[in-house]
Amino acid sequence: MTGREHIVGLAELQVARGAGRLITLGLGSCVAIVLYDETTRTGGLAHVLLPSKIMSRIRDAPGRYPETAVPVLLDAMADLGAGRGQIKARLIGGASMFASLSPAGVLPMGERNVVASREALATAGIDIVAERVGSDFGRSVSVDLATGKVEVSSVRHGVEYC
Amino acid sequence: MDMDDLLQLSEIERDALREVANIGAGHAATALSQMTGRTIMIDVPEVNIRHLEEVAEMLGPPDTVVAGILMHMMGDLTGRTMVVLPESSARSLCDILLGRQNDSTVSFSEMELSSLKETGNILSSAYLNALSDFMGMMLVPSVPSLVLDFAGAVLTSTYLSFGQERDVVFCVDTAFRVEGEVESLQGEFLLLPDVPSLQAILGAIAVE
Repeated sequence: MTGREHIVGLAELQVARGAGRLITLGLGSCVAIVLYDETTRTGGLAHVLLPSKIMSRIRDAPGRYPETAVPVLLDAMADLGAGRGQIKARLIGGASMFASLSPAGVLPMGERNVVASREALATAGIDIVAERVGSDFGRSVSVDLATGKVEVSSVRHGVEYC
Repeated sequence: MDMDDLLQLSEIERDALREVANIGAGHAATALSQMTGRTIMIDVPEVNIRHLEEVAEMLGPPDTVVAGILMHMMGDLTGRTMVVLPESSARSLCDILLGRQNDSTVSFSEMELSSLKETGNILSSAYLNALSDFMGMMLVPSVPSLVLDFAGAVLTSTYLSFGQERDVVFCVDTAFRVEGEVESLQGEFLLLPDVPSLQAILGAIAVE
């Protein structure tokens, strides 16, 4: 029994404990915020779109923005029994897919998403233990809830772990 | 025009946008036909107005690998055009363009990537030229940018990195394919005008 696969869509977030996987596909400029508590084997994943909620009129979707996704993930993980002090974070994504078309002097959206994700985690007092961010290629993420091992796959580099 | 107007585009306005896309895609298909020596068919264009959350699935499952050639559209309208090919079709196109046997393109090196990028450039330019003539506008394409990547990453990054719409997004999508050939070659022409430019398109073709 390897448990079920929880697919986290664009702008969604999910938490789960025990066996199984948290998966999100096709991150470009978006960022996957992966949280994991190894003592209780509880994980959380958010696929955030935008660095701030002020860039949008949509307010009722916490998974869209790091500032709202992180607190909601932490609360949901606490409900599953995770200890706040044990939770570590990983960030994946935040690429600039069409870098040559980006206007000069403007911070690319992917980078802004990474910066905002780091800020949201710092505000919550959660340490980041690994990042696979930036560059110009897309990534998919699969978190093994039993081990906390995070598989990052890309067309460019195949499968890597972080 | 804002998000609410976008969600309430009338059937007449949608028809007009389909007609504009049909003219653009028709010219792009003619160009592709001349480049490949194959007959290219196009479908009726589809007007897509979606929440940004839904675009990851628009070109298929978000982890499908596609080639996307994106260009900015500048001048009297702003926005982007994109030619999208599934990976297998990108290989077939390389076979044809580089005069190879079927199924002999196994990887994408500099030569293949350059062929795909130039093809996307020619097709998008044909598309924009047709729109320019039809609407009496000056439209200028930027240099092209090619990615070979997950479909979900390609389209969401296009919307999030460029333009101002983060909630509801728009595109006109015209599918094309080779008619009755052994190669599987298909793809899509996408026209992604910025929302203010949509109003200009409707105005130019006298749909008010």
